[in-house]
This record gives sequence, structure tokens and C-alpha cells, in this order.
Amino acid sequence: MQRFFYLHLRAASQALRTLLQQPLSSLLGLAMLGLAVALPVCLYLLVSSAQQWSQGLTVKPEITVFMELNAERTDVVVVDEHLRQHKSIADYEFISREQALKVLLEKQNLQDIGQALGGNPLPDAFIIRPKELTPEQMEQLAVELSHLPLVENTQFDAGWARKLAQILAVLQHFTLVLGASLAVTLLLVTHNMIRMQILAHRDAIEVSKLIGAPNPFIRRPFLYLAVWQGGIAAALGWGLAQAFIATLNPLIADFAALYHSQAELHSLNLEESALLVVSIIGLSCLTAAWTCTRLLRKLEPR
Amino acid sequence: MTSAPSPNPMIQFSEVSKVYPGGIEALNQLTFQIDKGEMVFLAGHSGAGKSTLLKLIAGIERANRGTVTVNGQNLSKMHPTELAYLRQHIGLIFQDHKILFDRTVHENVLLPLEIIGFDRREAAKRVRAALDKVGLLNKEKMNPVRLSGGEQQRLCIARAVVHRPAILLADEPTGNLDRAYAQDIMELFKSFHQVGVTIVISAHDEILMREYGQRTIRLSQGKLG
Repeated sequence: MQRFFYLHLRAASQALRTLLQQPLSSLLGLAMLGLAVALPVCLYLLVSSAQQWSQGLTVKPEITVFMELNAERTDVVVVDEHLRQHKSIADYEFISREQALKVLLEKQNLQDIGQALGGNPLPDAFIIRPKELTPEQMEQLAVELSHLPLVENTQFDAGWARKLAQILAVLQHFTLVLGASLAVTLLLVTHNMIRMQILAHRDAIEVSKLIGAPNPFIRRPFLYLAVWQGGIAAALGWGLAQAFIATLNPLIADFAALYHSQAELHSLNLEESALLVVSIIGLSCLTAAWTCTRLLRKLEPR
Repeated sequence: MTSAPSPNPMIQFSEVSKVYPGGIEALNQLTFQIDKGEMVFLAGHSGAGKSTLLKLIAGIERANRGTVTVNGQNLSKMHPTELAYLRQHIGLIFQDHKILFDRTVHENVLLPLEIIGFDRREAAKRVRAALDKVGLLNKEKMNPVRLSGGEQQRLCIARAVVHRPAILLADEPTGNLDRAYAQDIMELFKSFHQVGVTIVISAHDEILMREYGQRTIRLSQGKLG
């Protein structure tokens, strides 16, 4: 067991020395990878922060249920009872046709026109605030409520909610695409780095194989090189994302204040950070293992 | 040349043939054995199959027909990784030395011990002992490019014996050396032989072979001559 740890420790330090031996090219490569990591991380933080912010908005989507003009008080009570028992409705408010007309005339200074109308053209209405539902679920609820007795129609301002959800979905998709691009970039850079390293150490590899080095022994320093590269790139990406958040947050706070709201980008939490580091190191390692297996097969001793 | 079966074989060839791609027949139906602790010369002209035979013993090449057995293990049935571990018990001395010129003399000799996974302190001790044995201790920190041909050959020998292998295979170890250097090298082999190492040396210097009076396996166009 001591030998096992010794071999791994030696391979890890050998790999770190390899990185440090060419500081400039290592730094440039790592900076490129760090940027490639930072881009999707920043976008992910933007999207998830926007999602959190939109969920916390005080202005919630509402459904308005308009009764028919000939609806009686008893019809209104039936609808009221139905709404009270509905599981998808958080709360609702009844606005009688008299109340609606009063508010309309007061708000628009139309008292004179009100007298000229000779009657009340407005229906009784319910303003409904559903529980947290997707835009599709809200639309379904609106259709369901429109079928209640003596309900004329329902109005659901789905536009802005749907647009916001769609924008966030597009951004989420874009984050995934950027994440996939990062994975491909990481794969190519790691493959190229390991390939160059193997070719640079071709003589040592051939001699080592001749004198009894099994493939795991040959492969080990290259795998650790990928671990170092992936780990450092992940740390750099994380740091750049933090810097991005720190720079952008005051601007977002100022912008949100204009709308009497509070908003900020959140940082990666511990779980997300760990996932980022582990997945990047894992991907680097897998790529390095594949590259080593492919190239070492060509360097069998002769 | 064939020998009677011995109860103590280290290397056994049974009907071994080796044909390289392109139909080049390097060895043809070879059957012989080498005992534990024996020192044997492989003689023959260039192209007779000496290097191929050594590569078969080391598991670097595989036979097309027949079986090669080393220390009781049939090499044709072994996985490449198992062959690599087998080579950790074999010391190889190459005709072209195969020295790594981006490492010091010390680091070159250290390589087999690193592969086996020796403790750093014990490994350093063994490297110095091996370099002392071949007379290169005072040059351990040098780059091998500054060594003479004879010194490079001795460096190769130090690397081959540093892990105290059971078998030592040497491919033309004195080929490029003058007689004085060649005798130095042969004396080293003799000293390893005295401590029980099985040694197979490919050579074509008949005088030198006669001088050391060991069994000689002669090859001619891939067959025992």
C-alpha cells in the first residue's frame, strides 16, 4: 500500500513539474481553459439568478374571470365556492360590477359619461392569483374556469410570463450549448497536451516499456497532468466567474432599484463548485486516459 | 546445437519460429534450453537471428510458432502487462544502449527502480552501488552525452543490473568497443554470473567467447548451427 501511494505521489509531483517547466505555455493554455470554463459558469449564474429573481417578484400572473352580465348573486356564490375549493388557486378577490364601475369612473375622471350610460356595462369579476404554476398550467386553469356556469370568459395575461420563461429557457439552452463547447474545448486541449507530452517523452516511454514499465506506470504521470490542468482550469474559471459577479452586482442592484426591486447575481454554492471541479477534472482525466491508451499502443517496444 | 533436458531450466525454446511481417523468417524451429545461473553466448553473423532470440526471451517479440518459457512461464500465453512485469526480472543491455540523454547518469540507472517502485533512499543507494560496480560513480551527475562509448555501455549495464535481475540479456555488448574495454565488460558479466545470474550474451567475437569458455549457441539463418 505504501508503494502504491509512493508511486502516485511521485507521478503527481512529476506532472506538476512538467507544468512548471514550461510556465508560459502552461499559463496560456490554462488561461484559455479558465476562460472557457468561466463563460458557461457566468451564463449559468445569470440564468439561475434571473430565475430566482422572477420567482420572487411581487407582481404575480393573474387570471380574471368575468361573469355574464345577467349573472345573479347566487351564480356568483357558486363560482366563489368553486374557487375557494380549487387546489391550484392561492387566493382570489371578487370585484362586483358596481365596484368596478366606481373604480373605472374615479380613475379615468369619466363621471359624466357614467351618467350618460344609463346603466352598468361592466360584469362581476374574480381576480385570481394561482399557486406557483407554469404558464401552460395557468393557461389550462384559465380554460377550466371559463367553463364554470355563467362565466362569460377568462383573461390571462400569459404574454409576459411566457416570454420570461422562454427567455430563461433559451438562456438555459445556451448555457448547455456553451457547457458542451467547454467540454469539447477541454477535450481537444487535453488531448493535444497529452499527445505532445507523449511525443516529447517518446524515447523515455519506449525505454521504460523495454525495461518493464507496464502501461499504468507510463500513463500515470499523464493522467496527473490532466488532473492538475483540469483542477487549475476549474479554479481559474471559478475565480473569473466570481470576479464577473463582483463587477456586475452593483450595476444590477442600481438597475433593480429603478423598479423598486432588489436583484443580484448569486455565486456558485459549495455543491455547484464541487460539481464544477469534479466534472472538469473527470473529463480531463478520461480524455487523457483515452489519448494515452491510443498513443501508447503505437509505442510498443520493438 | 541442442542440449539434453535439464531439471533446472530458466529459459526453454520449443520448436520456436519467428517470421516478421513481409515473410522475413528470423528464427526457424529452435529448440534449446538455458539453465538457471548459466552463462551462454549466442553466436552468429549479422541477421542470424540473435537479437530476435533475445527479444523473444524478454517478451518484446512473440513467437509465431512454438513456445518460449522463461522461469516456468509460457510467454505466448501472457498478457502484455504480465510481460512488462516479467521484464522487471530481466536486465536488458541493448546494442544501441538506449540511454536517455535528457537525464543524468544517476537518473538513467534509477529508471528500473522507479518502475518497480523502490523507496527513494534505497533506490539511491542501489544506483550508487551499481555505478560503483561499473566504475561510473564519479560521473553520476553527468549528462550521458559526455560519456565515451565504453562508458555508455557500462551505464547501460548498470541500469540492467541495478534491480538485481534473475536474467541478464546482452545484445552485442562489446560490439563497438576495443579489446581492453570489451574485457572490462566481460569481467563484469563474469562477476554477475558468479552470483547466480542467468546470462545470455549475443556476440560475434570468437576469441572473446573462447576466452570465457562458456556454452555457445550458434545461429545461422535462424536455425541452430
